[in-house]
Amino acid sequence: MSTLLEVSGVTVSFDGFRAINNLSFQIGEPELRAVIGPNGAGKTTFMDIITGKTKPDEGRVIWGEKSVSLLDMSESAIARAGVGRKFQKPTVFEDQTVRENLAMALKNPRGPFDVLWYKKTAQGAEKIEEIADEIGLTDALTRCAGDLSHGQKQWLEIGMLLAQDPRLLLIDEPAAGMTPTEREHTTDLIKRAARTCAVVVIEHDMEFVRRLECKVTVLHEGAVLAEGSLDHVTKNKDVIDVYLGR
Amino acid sequence: MERSFIMRNPSVLWFLLALAGFTLGVTILSEAFGIGGLSTSFIKTLGKTLCLCLIAVAMDVVWGYCGILSLGHFAFFGLGGYAIGMWLMYARTEEIVVNSLNEAAIPPTEQEITNAIGTQIFGVVGSSDFPLIWAFSHSLTLQLLMVVLVPGLLALVFGWLAFRSRVTGVYLSILTQAMTLALSLYLFQNDSGLRGNNGLSGLQNIPGLDHISQATLSMWFFWASAIALALGYLLFAYVVSGKMGSVIRGIRDDESRVRFLGYHVESYKLFVFTLTAIISAIAGALYYPQAGIINPAEIAPIASIYLAVWVAIGGRGRLYGAVIGAAFVSLLSSWFTGGGAPSIPLGFYTIQWTDWWLVLLGVSFVAVTLFFPKGIGGLFDYLVRKQP
Repeated sequence: MSTLLEVSGVTVSFDGFRAINNLSFQIGEPELRAVIGPNGAGKTTFMDIITGKTKPDEGRVIWGEKSVSLLDMSESAIARAGVGRKFQKPTVFEDQTVRENLAMALKNPRGPFDVLWYKKTAQGAEKIEEIADEIGLTDALTRCAGDLSHGQKQWLEIGMLLAQDPRLLLIDEPAAGMTPTEREHTTDLIKRAARTCAVVVIEHDMEFVRRLECKVTVLHEGAVLAEGSLDHVTKNKDVIDVYLGR
Repeated sequence: MERSFIMRNPSVLWFLLALAGFTLGVTILSEAFGIGGLSTSFIKTLGKTLCLCLIAVAMDVVWGYCGILSLGHFAFFGLGGYAIGMWLMYARTEEIVVNSLNEAAIPPTEQEITNAIGTQIFGVVGSSDFPLIWAFSHSLTLQLLMVVLVPGLLALVFGWLAFRSRVTGVYLSILTQAMTLALSLYLFQNDSGLRGNNGLSGLQNIPGLDHISQATLSMWFFWASAIALALGYLLFAYVVSGKMGSVIRGIRDDESRVRFLGYHVESYKLFVFTLTAIISAIAGALYYPQAGIINPAEIAPIASIYLAVWVAIGGRGRLYGAVIGAAFVSLLSSWFTGGGAPSIPLGFYTIQWTDWWLVLLGVSFVAVTLFFPKGIGGLFDYLVRKQP
């Protein structure tokens, strides 16, 4: 397992408030990691930095074997480099069919003229079928994404991430608003994805994190408070203070 | 095996058939090529309407599909008109000047001819020198190139600056309004080199075609406008179908999601903005020879706002909706403002439609937005069950 992403000494302030404070973080490939922390711990800002939405004041974000800095790249370039992001609120293109949603995400040249002259390929169709099967939406391929249930939309979005053929997946609260059965399916999806690529799951729900059976990073006030197995971190005194001592 | 483009988009075929039928009908009823019945001026109105339909389709692509509410696309339309107008005016004046000077005892020199043309064209603004921007006006080919290049470059530069700074929504609309207002105010000045508020006139006289009657010419332009609309419609139908359509509709609905999928959103917006600007310019270059005159008032901000109203009333997000909206509202508008609609005497007050048409238009715009967001084109959904 080699290091895929290395975040070191990153600091971000918004109007004097330090959302991220000298944060360092590493993830290998493949690896599954859960990031937990109370509200305002900087979890979403952390993702914004990796995906290029927010530029940090200090620190480095290093990516891949060639150790390129993600800080100089645009959001779309970072996505093309292999970082996929799932938002907390499911964001799929509701006006378009499930197939169109997945086709848009498929890893293909992304320039306007590449897309304008794009021809559907049998390979692409096969890949879409494969992913639809994986996310359990095979029967819904021709349906409008807006007609899907909340859970199905979440899966479709995860499916879109998989279609991008990413190396790093950032998933923000995937289980929010899901029924227990849907949660189980989501856990399976994430675990399977983590066999081939690096996956970071941000989650509030401890029960869900426990099911992922992975290393956990606890964020607090924009910095890493503890790291290790879930049992290890939940025994950590600082973590107990932050989570339960309030 | 993938089905052909037309098969996947049956509405394109229906539209082209309807347009062909309409063109044939008008040809049969024309004075020049048929049994008569439609006056030359009405044929010009219909030809101009087809050009307005073309710019409306462009507007629908940039607004209805890509979500950029541009309130400045008439600037490109006007620039296209000015570009072709410069050649029309220059070549026509040259013809007249050369003819009259040839009757003089001493043959005129090159310089004398140029001066005489300059005086003819720029006399109204108290000048006789050719400004730099008229450098290509002697050549139809170069000026046709300008029809595409000038608005295209303006859209490219403006779009690049605006999209790169991530200006979106209502702020972008205001910027586009400012652009067309600034251009119009600039052209109003006498030293802008385009004859200030006089604009370019006499454009209905095509140089070298004096022997052909306006009745015939009007049909030529009508056909050219119909062909331009057909080709423009096909082009845009292709752009908004398939994966490109998927991406630009995605940009309309959720820009940042598209960005995180790895698409460079700004390039797509720039592509759509510039392409629609160029097609708008081509529509303008066909419109103004039929109108006969172009002046800076044509590209005042209100024109671009009307354009948005047409598209909204016709139905955003479907190309034939834009065509219906532009044709319906602009023809109705010329009927009302042209005195075609009878005044309504109320005893204490008489409703004059020339004044009250705008109120009617405003009310219908509000009503459509509130109660029929899909516009007139939405009626087709009741006729044809949409296939999933």
